Amino acid sequence: MQKRLLSTALLPLLAVMAMPAQAVDLTWSGFGTFGYARSDQSFNYQRFISDDGTLKRDTVLGAQVDARFSQEWSATVQAKAAPSDHSDSQWQASVAWAFLSWRPSDDWLIRAGKIRLPMMLNTENSDVGATYDFARLPLEVYSIAPTTDVIGVSISKTWLGDSFDWTAEAYTGETSTYWRYYGRDRTMDKANSPGSWFLPIDMKSSGLVLTARSFEHTFRIGYHEGQASRPGEKTGAGFEYLNPPGVYLLSSGGVDKLRVPIVTLGASVSLPVEFRLTGEYAQAKVESASRGLSRWGAYLALTKRIGAWTPYVSYAKTKSTDEALGLYQRINANAGVVPAPLRNSQTLMADITAPYDQSTIALGTSFAVSPKSLIKTEISRVRTGVASSFIDAPAGGDSGNRHINIFSLSYSFSF
Amino acid sequence: MILRALLLLSLLLGGLVAAAGDDLVVIGHSSLPKTDRVTLQRLYTGRIVSIGAQTVTPLNLPPGSAARDDFLQMVMEQNEEQYTGYWLVRRYVGKGSPPKELGSVDEVVRHVVSTPGAVGYVPLSKVPPGANVIFRR
Repeated sequence: MQKRLLSTALLPLLAVMAMPAQAVDLTWSGFGTFGYARSDQSFNYQRFISDDGTLKRDTVLGAQVDARFSQEWSATVQAKAAPSDHSDSQWQASVAWAFLSWRPSDDWLIRAGKIRLPMMLNTENSDVGATYDFARLPLEVYSIAPTTDVIGVSISKTWLGDSFDWTAEAYTGETSTYWRYYGRDRTMDKANSPGSWFLPIDMKSSGLVLTARSFEHTFRIGYHEGQASRPGEKTGAGFEYLNPPGVYLLSSGGVDKLRVPIVTLGASVSLPVEFRLTGEYAQAKVESASRGLSRWGAYLALTKRIGAWTPYVSYAKTKSTDEALGLYQRINANAGVVPAPLRNSQTLMADITAPYDQSTIALGTSFAVSPKSLIKTEISRVRTGVASSFIDAPAGGDSGNRHINIFSLSYSFSF
Repeated sequence: MILRALLLLSLLLGGLVAAAGDDLVVIGHSSLPKTDRVTLQRLYTGRIVSIGAQTVTPLNLPPGSAARDDFLQMVMEQNEEQYTGYWLVRRYVGKGSPPKELGSVDEVVRHVVSTPGAVGYVPLSKVPPGANVIFRR
């Protein structure tokens, strides 16, 4: 599927090249973030953050070309370089967007190609740090969708009102992506070596999003229906308890396609004296061995504009279903009961339930160097409950009941 | 009598100078109808692409130019930072790019006069005879 998707996404690029140069109004822009983050813990959080410090969590460089053929027709291609989505040690250059836009009238916009989905309020511009004040968008919420990019079609209709513009956007498409897992004691392939692995997943996604926007306020509600499958394999198998020898194992079977419905809600409201309150909520349901992916996430952030400074405080939380966390706890506890040679297999089974139970409180500020560039700094404290798959738990331990303090400093720009 | 005439003349000239120095108008290609502030706000934020039934191409002057500052304040009710910030987000959510920028008022005038659907803002003193003024304060 990868090759077919790639060739479809490159259509807008070919369209640009095929046009006579004088007929195209070409503009290009660049963006990037140089971000440093460091925690007070030796294990990795969000893949890269530890007490060693890292530039890999937040650093990204990108460029975008907008080609306008007429007021109705245009094409956009955006490329970026960032840490790979299927390796913790490599960087990856990729085409983030590549789509043709057709705007037959004021209120209709049709886009086809590789598009980013309107999931959360900042999903579409999440790579461009200069467009928001937070040092890092709350992962508790922004990680809930299995994918945010598809190759497909988006149709939006806008109703212009006196105080709000209302936009309904429907999309459908598919993509190939990866789900990351981390085994604290062993991976699926290596019996005694902790590490991450990336499961290739084919995703089909469709959704409908309604957004009300004015210069001061934004409200958004969306319903998204995903369908996950593994190339040539079944997915969605559960666990079975085999006694003797008293161990949890992945059961055989599964389904060809796994349904992943997601609900999203968001609001960003301007308050008196330059305060702004932003809150978002998302909930996903996944019926599979990785049932911890069935979770909700929410955050609330208060910002205050003071000249070039925008200090903020935010609180974010995510939690898998009680059923998923209970299953994790049972398997994790079993790891302490089984004979030593079987222990790693049980921690592996616990890890692939992909449990999430954590909250983050963050205090930070952005400083506008110019309208297109921001310096940001943030101190955040993460607290985990039962467990959190955002943590690469140390061998012999687990990710539950952890406290992580993180310092972040970044410079985001666009030109 | 002479004094009264001089006073009248000075008032008249003063008024003309003030109009020429301060007033900003929006001109459009000859076929475009008169419009209003709300429509211009929507046009220059990419929320509409036409006036009436006619497709329109808005033109901007570069940041820092006095006419652009006046236009943003008078019509858009925004400052440069807000307007640039708006387009920064809009561009990177994939909803289009900001209006084309031309280097000078003279370029805007030439482009508007010669290009069907073109719209631009210029100081009143730079409006050529016979130009189609589609909005003035």
